[in-house]
Amino acid sequence: MDVLIDNADVFVSGFWLTLQLCVLSATGALLIGTIVAAMRISPVPSLRWAGATYVTLVRNLPLTIVFFLTSFGLPELGSNADFLRVPGLSSVFDRLGIDLPYFRFAVIALSVYTAAFVCEAIRSGVNAVPAGQAEAARSLGLTFRQNLLSIVLPQAWRAAIVPLGSVIIAMIKNSALAGAFGVTGELFSSGQNLTSSGGNPIIPVFIGISIGYLIMTVPLGIFIDRVENRRAVAR
Amino acid sequence: MRLKRFAALAAVSVLAFGAAACGGEDPGTTPTTSKFEAGTTMEKLSTAGKITIGTKFDQPGFGLKGLDGKPAGFDVEIGKIIAAELGISADKINWIATPSAVREEVLEKGDADVVIATYTINDKRKQRIDFAGPYYVAGQHLMVRSDDSSITGPDSFKDGAKKVCSVQGSTPATNIEKFLKDKATQLVLFDVYTKCVDALKNKQVDAVTTDNVILLGYVSQSNGAYKLTGSKFTDEPYGIGVKKGDAKFRAFINDLLEKIYADGRYAKAWTDTAGKFDANVPTGPAVNRY
Amino acid sequence: MSHEPLIVLDAVNKWFGDLHVLRDVNLTVERGEVVVVIGPSGSGKSTLCRAVNRLETINSGSIRFDGKELPAEGRALAKLRSEVGMVFQSFNLFAHKSILDNVTLAPIKVRGESKASARARGMQLLERVGIANQANKLPAQLSGGQQQRAAIARALAMQPKAMLFDEPTSALDPEMVGEVLDVMTSLAKEGMTMIVVTHEMGFARAAADRVVFMADGQLVEQAPPAEFFGDPKSERARDFLSKVLSH
Ligand SMILES: Nc1ncnc2c1ncn2[C@@H]1O[C@H](COP(=O)(O)OP(=O)(O)OP(=O)(O)O)[C@@H](O)[C@H]1O
Ligand SMILES: [Mg+2]
Repeated sequence: MDVLIDNADVFVSGFWLTLQLCVLSATGALLIGTIVAAMRISPVPSLRWAGATYVTLVRNLPLTIVFFLTSFGLPELGSNADFLRVPGLSSVFDRLGIDLPYFRFAVIALSVYTAAFVCEAIRSGVNAVPAGQAEAARSLGLTFRQNLLSIVLPQAWRAAIVPLGSVIIAMIKNSALAGAFGVTGELFSSGQNLTSSGGNPIIPVFIGISIGYLIMTVPLGIFIDRVENRRAVAR
Repeated sequence: MRLKRFAALAAVSVLAFGAAACGGEDPGTTPTTSKFEAGTTMEKLSTAGKITIGTKFDQPGFGLKGLDGKPAGFDVEIGKIIAAELGISADKINWIATPSAVREEVLEKGDADVVIATYTINDKRKQRIDFAGPYYVAGQHLMVRSDDSSITGPDSFKDGAKKVCSVQGSTPATNIEKFLKDKATQLVLFDVYTKCVDALKNKQVDAVTTDNVILLGYVSQSNGAYKLTGSKFTDEPYGIGVKKGDAKFRAFINDLLEKIYADGRYAKAWTDTAGKFDANVPTGPAVNRY
Repeated sequence: MSHEPLIVLDAVNKWFGDLHVLRDVNLTVERGEVVVVIGPSGSGKSTLCRAVNRLETINSGSIRFDGKELPAEGRALAKLRSEVGMVFQSFNLFAHKSILDNVTLAPIKVRGESKASARARGMQLLERVGIANQANKLPAQLSGGQQQRAAIARALAMQPKAMLFDEPTSALDPEMVGEVLDVMTSLAKEGMTMIVVTHEMGFARAAADRVVFMADGQLVEQAPPAEFFGDPKSERARDFLSKVLSH
């Protein structure tokens, strides 16, 4: 267990980087996922088609391939994902603003991939909202957008919160793949470095890594349970 | 314990005497041309007129299987020199592929007589097999785009501007860290080197670092797009694997290595193969007769 | 203002797959007229009602509202819908919003009315349907009758030119039917144009200008209530009436 104490800085910085990656990716995934879900339930056939195609494609590809497409496809297209170098954000999430694009690529890969699952979670939430709610809103003259934003989504979120929680927890675990795609110092690969080139024993190091992930996932799970219970009481 | 060792010794001496006696009784059955001491691996191989050599089949410059099905490279040339010294012509050599994971095993099981396969000498391996050599000292090197002359060695990273790529959890990745100003902005790690090469091509990074031998492979396949820069900054001695305990065969190979360092065969082997990508002919390293 | 009747259905046909739900339906509703639609289950009453604000699309024929063909989609359709109030059997109050917010939502979002003015009008409407004291509760906290009155207030908040009611009392416990019908009767008296699908024959007699009898997707018979209930012309209407009135 000395390994954990001796290398505390490695674990802490790995945890911090992974946490940043996950916060940004979760935000991106929720945003994109909601938009795609809106497309999938929109009255415009071409949008519905585009939304369904997105989900079918992205959800059925291994995450590694999505990482590959962002980390090597985007540069091929001449993009370093510089649009993510948002000045204010970069001061909190320092990796976002550096020249090396791999952190940004990882944020995109995780967001784009997770968004497909977010979309389906939200869509299941939308399906749980009685059709009469949207119908009543339509009959009052609300546009599709107004209907979605003020009536359907606020109710869908409540039904979607539990599946969304699972999706985000899965995403946190998936973030371990970022280490294989140039995000140096991310929690999982930091641990691997300690064992394979640092020669440290495997078991304690991986216990340390596990603790790092559990610190992120367990509270999220508890939070989701809380929200779910409150909702159950409110009904 | 002591008794057992005595018994083993006795058995060996009986065998040795027996072999000598056989030779004495019927000298006509062994080729008189053999210049090797009876009972040695050298004698056995030269008598048989054939040898099985393990090498890499996927390492450009050192051992890469060609269209004719036969490997070519620096390791292969060294293998041919050993065979020739035993009186075995190149076409009588049986080449087998020995990727890193199986090298000890093929020697232990006798599937190969000798393994020359970018085989780094270390103590752990010496517990299972023996090494002649080293015949070459590989080491960590830097590969850059051919049109880039701004990086001359690992010190070029100290100002914090240049970016370098390696593989996660690898020794080269750890080694390069001490030359960096800021790991977060300068070091990119992937799970395999091909991704690093891609990143180098796309200019996300300015250099790829790992053993020069691996880098030479990428240089060789790049059609001149990449080159090695500076000199290597770590040492990875490559040895020639033989069966554990075969001291005479090991000594024979060590003698041979010293001979070819001097007579130019070593330099020719290099220039004919890996030298095409790295013109600096290495000086033959001192062999280690442990 | 056009001089044409407010609602005009001309040779409307509607299929659900192979099922022919509306067959050559012709119906006009004058301004201020109250039309009660009755008929057996599955005869297409709801579909007819919903077609008028295009919650259902039709396959052929035309529906005109206030002198104009119903818009196919987009903002124009949203505007048309904002002019036609609709009350559903299952209330369909927005479950996550307070009663008052239910009433003010559309005036604010669709009409761009100020919050203050929408709330003031909203409270008046709730007052009028008798549930002002429930304004800040969530729908689930109200009884069915209260919810349906809130739903009527919500529709009225858009100051619609016509109101559509699709069995507004069918989901209610019997003791609550009266309070909802009272609100509807007073609306009718004030001159609101209404299409009401209902099984409440008492309401039809008291408030309707005309009763329309539907069966198998066709308008079989239409007449003022006294005439229709006193002397139904068709066999099917007589049959239907004998069944509902005997209860
Ligand atoms: N969305 C739909 N898809 C398929 N069939 C439908 C749909 N909506 C209604 N129908 C069918 O169309 C027919 C007419 O339905 P409608 O709801 O208009 O009848 P109704 O007269 O209102 O009956 P009820 O008194 O039971 O409400 C019924 O047979 C019904 O099953
Ligand atoms: Mg109905």
